[in-house]
Amino acid sequence: MMNLSRSVALISLFLLPFLSSSFSVDNPTDRRVLVLLDDLSLKSSHSTFFNTLKSRGFDLDFKSADDSKLALQRYGQYLYDGLIIFAPSTERFGGSLDSKSVADFVDSGRDLILSADTSASDLIRGIATECGVDFDEDSSAMVIDHSSFSVSDGDHTLIAADDLVKSDVILGKSKIEAPVLFRGVAHSLNPTNNLVLKVLSASPSAYSANPTSKLSSPPQLTGSAISLVSVMQARNNARVVISGSLQLFSDRLFRSGAQKSGSPDKYEKSGNEQFVTELSKWVFHERGHLKAGSLVHHRVGETDEPAIYRIKDDLEFSVEILEWSGKSWEPYVADDVQVQFYMMSPYVLKTLSTDKKGLFHTSFKVPDVYGVFQFKVEYEKLGYTTLSLSKQIPVRPYRHNEYERFIPTAYPYYGACFTTMAGFFVFSFVYLYHK
Amino acid sequence: MVKSTSKDAQDLFRSLHSAYSATPTNLKVIDLYVVFAVFTAVIQVAYMALVGSFPFNSFLSGVLSCIGTAVLAVCLRIQVNKENKEFKDLAPERAFADFVLCNLVLHLVIINFLG
Repeated sequence: MMNLSRSVALISLFLLPFLSSSFSVDNPTDRRVLVLLDDLSLKSSHSTFFNTLKSRGFDLDFKSADDSKLALQRYGQYLYDGLIIFAPSTERFGGSLDSKSVADFVDSGRDLILSADTSASDLIRGIATECGVDFDEDSSAMVIDHSSFSVSDGDHTLIAADDLVKSDVILGKSKIEAPVLFRGVAHSLNPTNNLVLKVLSASPSAYSANPTSKLSSPPQLTGSAISLVSVMQARNNARVVISGSLQLFSDRLFRSGAQKSGSPDKYEKSGNEQFVTELSKWVFHERGHLKAGSLVHHRVGETDEPAIYRIKDDLEFSVEILEWSGKSWEPYVADDVQVQFYMMSPYVLKTLSTDKKGLFHTSFKVPDVYGVFQFKVEYEKLGYTTLSLSKQIPVRPYRHNEYERFIPTAYPYYGACFTTMAGFFVFSFVYLYHK
Repeated sequence: MVKSTSKDAQDLFRSLHSAYSATPTNLKVIDLYVVFAVFTAVIQVAYMALVGSFPFNSFLSGVLSCIGTAVLAVCLRIQVNKENKEFKDLAPERAFADFVLCNLVLHLVIINFLG
């Protein structure tokens, strides 16, 4: 008997580290990341990138893309929180992995970094299309730019790009001065898709074509419509980075100097390392992840939440929003969080003011309409997780004894009635007792 | 012509005035009361024309109290006037009692409708 309970205790102790090593609501940064490589030499040629990830505490699991024991889930539980696919030429993944299981992985809220390159297979293109990104259909095409290439290269396919998205959340607070070196394929985004975003765009003089053969017809993808690196934040807040170049992440381009053609600025080190590091912080939820507490509302002067409001009541509303800093929850500071008092359309829309400690509050008067309203906070800021909170509350009209007792406009009529009564009284005296 | 019309108007007014002075005092008291009631009603109508008829029930109540009591006073005058052949047999006390009772009912209704 003793032996059995002791062995159970030992086994649960052994399992404990596995239970606490995934990302959770309280600790949204990913922990375990599966890295799929089609060529194991990528481990050394991209070692700087992988080492920065390891130094930030990630658990990297390197596997070959056609390893037959590949699995993202076991017994319904996901084994990894993040996935890096650096396998652009893989036609089929090994094990139980395929494009559907990768799509399910993102659907479950987990993050993905996908990189294609000049020989992108249909599998990789298919995964990218699931995320809303369309690579150039011509499989031999690369991005060529005759006026924005890096001067160290000869054939204008190594682009020095500096058209970055303006977002401190995605790319970090410090500006990336040096251009980012890129050599790979172009992709485009559907302009109606509002979940994807171009992080690194090509210059207006870029186009996508086969560099070795003569152009027979004008290229389909040209100019700023070409995206070199894009991100997608799904509605469940899973984040995906899709890059057209595997060399973007390589040590060689990290260390290389960068000088854009036509520009006199020569940089000792390209912007690649800073760009890739900041982007990886964003995609693995070390930055820009918001959490909101419940919505709190009550009448001015009270603290309890009433079950029903009356029209023209004064009420106070507050919500607590925290931002994950990578290690702890910090108060979120912004001036554009809004609350709606909504019934089919917002009757009241107010911007919340913050006390800089994470509490956003405002006060307003309930409108002169009765019905069932909702307090709605719908916050969708570029690069941040979307907050979608709502709380229902009914609003009733005045009770029959809540109206004002005497209407001020009617005072003359009240006066007239009583004067007439007094006049009648006086008249009857005079009439009876006059001489 | 103009001079004769103005002289006629003055003569008319003077004869009215002298005829009226001949009426008994109690009738004059009733007349004064009627004028007072109608004057109060006219003030209320002017006020309503100014501000609008928002608490319409209060407006009606106020005007009705004045007009109602004026009408009742006119009835009293008819019944009490000795020159009136129709009400020769009616005791003036009975007429006054009717007047008071009707006024009481009127003012009860008015206060209820005032709101």
